[in-house]
Amino acid sequence: MHEISLVRSIFNTLESEFSKKELDTMTAINLRVGLLSNVEPLLMQNAFDAVTTAEEKYQGVKLQVELVPIEIHCNDCQSSSIVENYKFVCASCGKPNNNVVKGTELLIHQVHFDS
Amino acid sequence: MDKIQKSTKTARGTVTCDNTTMHLLKANDFVAASIREKMTEKNILLINITSSAGSGKTTLLQETARRIGGKVNMKVLVGDLETERDADRIRETGVDALQIVTGGICHLEAQMVWQAMENLNLEGVELLIIENVGNLVCPASFDLGEDYRVTLIATTEGDDKPKKYPRMFLTSEMMLVSKVDLLEHLPFSVEAVVADARDVNPNIKVLEVSSTKNMGIDAWCEWLLEKVKEKQNTKKEVTA
Repeated sequence: MHEISLVRSIFNTLESEFSKKELDTMTAINLRVGLLSNVEPLLMQNAFDAVTTAEEKYQGVKLQVELVPIEIHCNDCQSSSIVENYKFVCASCGKPNNNVVKGTELLIHQVHFDS
Repeated sequence: MDKIQKSTKTARGTVTCDNTTMHLLKANDFVAASIREKMTEKNILLINITSSAGSGKTTLLQETARRIGGKVNMKVLVGDLETERDADRIRETGVDALQIVTGGICHLEAQMVWQAMENLNLEGVELLIIENVGNLVCPASFDLGEDYRVTLIATTEGDDKPKKYPRMFLTSEMMLVSKVDLLEHLPFSVEAVVADARDVNPNIKVLEVSSTKNMGIDAWCEWLLEKVKEKQNTKKEVTA
């Protein structure tokens, strides 16, 4: 979805969090995107390259996108499991469960600076 | 490494961020929380209707407005990329509607809803329905501060959609299978779509409706009226 606007949102978020001086030394950004966030890593990468080239800023900064699987937590048996093939059932007790604890995130996880 | 303390030290090396501050949809979620608060204060039930383009959202809302427009004070906000057409169609039924033209954006964001609300007289309103942009992808990620999300899937679509667009069905309270009057002409299986949806969201409620042939509309309107009543009652408990 709308990867270009997400790239702008990455820059806005970083610019409100770090100073220009700090961002001048930025070398890499690590994103964590959940499988449910509807973000496609390759398209995100392309959008990032397109925006950095067009706006002539943050060129040379690497974008790493880490996909986070969907994890649910079962309140009946207190166990957490990974959702496979979008079948939302507890892997431990087999009960239907959509208590999603991971997999919807869309986060800047780490920022690397060259200093 | 710890999250950097702003202005007290310079970011160096690798900075691991606090999840809440570097969440890319933070701005949307902040506004959505404000909408939720405002709606709770005014006791307005807020429903977000989503679906693919052409599943019958506007037709359902026209029929809904005709049925219950005289029983509850309702208004509609409707999102589209261009034109006033859908809002005009709702207004024909006598219910006040406001069009949000997104200008090419594929979903509604909380900020657009907030701005639209400022142009809508909400005095005495009990039910506000948002008709989202027809799209099962992006609208799933944007909380609009709604009480319930309701997703339509028409019998003219594939009955395997819930797993193709899992987040939308995961976050919906109810799935309305629309255009069921056409079932006999189509390869669509209600049983299959319900099974697919319940794999993703075991708690999803399902209703079969046809807005043009008056099927299942009573049950849908009853559900809405019941939820409006629940929302009205929360107020009494709070003020009591």
